[in-house]
Amino acid sequence: MPKLLNADVVKQIEDAFAPMKEAVHILYFGQKDNCMYCKDTQQLIEEVVEISDKLSLDIYDLDDDADVAAKFNVDKAPGIVIAAKDGDTISDYGIRYAGIPSGHEFTSFIQDILLVAGRDSGLSQETRDFLGQLTEPVLLQVFVTPT
Amino acid sequence: MVQAEMIEASEFQALSAKYNVSGVPQTTINDGAATVVGAVPESNMLAELKRMLAK
Repeated sequence: MPKLLNADVVKQIEDAFAPMKEAVHILYFGQKDNCMYCKDTQQLIEEVVEISDKLSLDIYDLDDDADVAAKFNVDKAPGIVIAAKDGDTISDYGIRYAGIPSGHEFTSFIQDILLVAGRDSGLSQETRDFLGQLTEPVLLQVFVTPT
Repeated sequence: MVQAEMIEASEFQALSAKYNVSGVPQTTINDGAATVVGAVPESNMLAELKRMLAK
């Protein structure tokens, strides 16, 4: 099976990942039918995770692992969760991808991994204060296209 | 408390249609309670969240 990421891209990602101090855990949810990009998405994530030993991956099926999908509030495939890992503890920061992270979104995917590795949102104090006093959940769904 | 999801519009067309997605990026907040079209700075996103929750 040919690689999706060429050697140059792998090297760039390797350099980007070099400063990572903390571990990041990715949960991937696929689906057997009606998922045109599931196979490519899984392969893409596997190739990325291979680049750094700070990254780990668990592969799930949306239907066979419905309990895990429910726990992580994932209802679409391909579905990706980017979470923090400290020892055996997985911390969910609410970061999700639905669909293959290609084109511009691939950069976002790499940057999100770095964001979680840094364990800091990088947001302003004002935003942090506002989010800190939320009493109801907030769902932000960002629609993108792959170009 | 906060979940942020990238959704690739062409793979999820029914959802894109539900939220009237035309220009991307489009940020739909709380199932359509608020919508932000375009890539906006953090302060804009914060203002929109505050506006939505004030209703």
